[in-house]
Amino acid sequence: MTTCDYCDQDAVYHDVQIKNGVHKTQNLCKQHATEAGFLLDSADLSIVLNIGESDLPSKSTAVACSDCGMTIAQYKEKSLLGCPTCYETFKNKLKHIIAEVQDNHLQHIGRAPSSEGVDVNRHLEVLRLLKKLDKAVNQEEYEQAATLRDQIRELHDGGELHEN
Amino acid sequence: MAASYMKIDPIKNCPFNRDDSPFGDVVLSSRARLARNLDGFPFVHRSSSSDCKEVSSLIKQICDHQPDDATLEWVNLDELDAQSTELFVERHLVSSDLANATHPRAIAVGPELSRSVMVNEEDHIRIQSIRPGLQLDEARKDVEALDIRIEEVIAYAFDEQLGFLTACPTNVGTGARFSVMLHLPALRIIKDLQRVRNACEGMSLAIRGYQGEGSKAIADLYQVSNQVTLGYTEEQLCSIIANDFLPPVIEWEREARKSVASNQYSKLEDQTHRSFGLLKSARMIKLHEAMQCLGNIRLGICLGLIDSIEIKTINKLFIEIHPAHLRHLYGIDTPDAEICSLRSDLLREKLTE
Ligand SMILES: [Zn+2]
Ligand SMILES: [Zn+2]
Repeated sequence: MTTCDYCDQDAVYHDVQIKNGVHKTQNLCKQHATEAGFLLDSADLSIVLNIGESDLPSKSTAVACSDCGMTIAQYKEKSLLGCPTCYETFKNKLKHIIAEVQDNHLQHIGRAPSSEGVDVNRHLEVLRLLKKLDKAVNQEEYEQAATLRDQIRELHDGGELHEN
Repeated sequence: MAASYMKIDPIKNCPFNRDDSPFGDVVLSSRARLARNLDGFPFVHRSSSSDCKEVSSLIKQICDHQPDDATLEWVNLDELDAQSTELFVERHLVSSDLANATHPRAIAVGPELSRSVMVNEEDHIRIQSIRPGLQLDEARKDVEALDIRIEEVIAYAFDEQLGFLTACPTNVGTGARFSVMLHLPALRIIKDLQRVRNACEGMSLAIRGYQGEGSKAIADLYQVSNQVTLGYTEEQLCSIIANDFLPPVIEWEREARKSVASNQYSKLEDQTHRSFGLLKSARMIKLHEAMQCLGNIRLGICLGLIDSIEIKTINKLFIEIHPAHLRHLYGIDTPDAEICSLRSDLLREKLTE
């Protein structure tokens, strides 16, 4: 478990900020986070507590990436991960960091390598359309929303047929 | 290897030689960049020298079968002399971090030095395209074409949820960074730059100076780029800059120029011709001062106060007055002490013809 930047307590607040291209990582305990004016509402806290819980067994031996040997402490030194597998190894911790630097986005909807195959590319297309649908509904463009819904249904049905 | 690089003349081969420069009065250039990594290799900062070499030789395959319309020249940076490497840095093709590193690294460059693939930078691969004026979508298509070409020879590190996996989580997802270089002298004069900064903040865009990360504004040039790389398509990220952010900003700068031209004409006239005169008579000039004067002249050209000089001449001079470019023109062994006088020679030559 990461400790607070200002004391030895376990950190419950994790933040990476980029100002003028320089990364600034912050880890604060509950007390110091509250003092710094970061409001930890109950929802945040429960996520944070979950992470704490899952980290407990490994407290004695710091988790290292099975592929490259990187630990989360080493990550914090440079804000760079060690290898692609690190994303899996530190999934829970990175979720917070990624949400913070990526405006709370956690799902890719852009291009995928063609080597990923039709299923992945179709899945991403459904996600793209869902996002558009969300926007259309919010802006009360119901005609466009209906078209999008049909497109999604078609892709979805096509997919199931394909899988059977 | 240095000899092979010299096949490309950085002065003759410049994207600013081209005449297509949409919204060129305000937008100097557009750039697209994709960050990619190879599956099954540690990221560069944790790679051994032999890992780096292997990654490099895998990517080099893209130069083996060259399509006629998009040839790339391969240059090993660790075998290149410091002067030539510095040329790449001044063209924003290589970061100074990569230039000063010692591990095996390379760059594959297209003929105009407008498209490039950097190998073993922060990520294994950084694909880049620079175009004059507002051509962000075209730049995006350039890098996507290169991306597809690379994808044919190697397997990328990709995750269905997080997209392309990058060394730093700030690039994860699309791995795409789109940016525009803006010239905003009039907004500075009427003290309204904060409006641009606010617009950036509202759209999660970063605003920086000419030299990129952490740099101050020189010659009223600003770089604006997306901060978020995950949760949007590449087209959407481009569109936020090109269709949401830029139209009002271009309008504000143009309005500000009109207002400066009508309300502060004498001041503008003085600033333009003072800068023009200075560059035409100076016998030694420092980079920063020359850049600022060029910026002032550029504004004067846009407002019709000078018609003997083309905007693209100024755009090119912004690059050519840097030390490595001057050494390329006047001799590789030029001592530092003579750079200022060579710079003024070049400026006098280009501005008085
Ligand atoms: Zn604390
Ligand atoms: Zn790893």
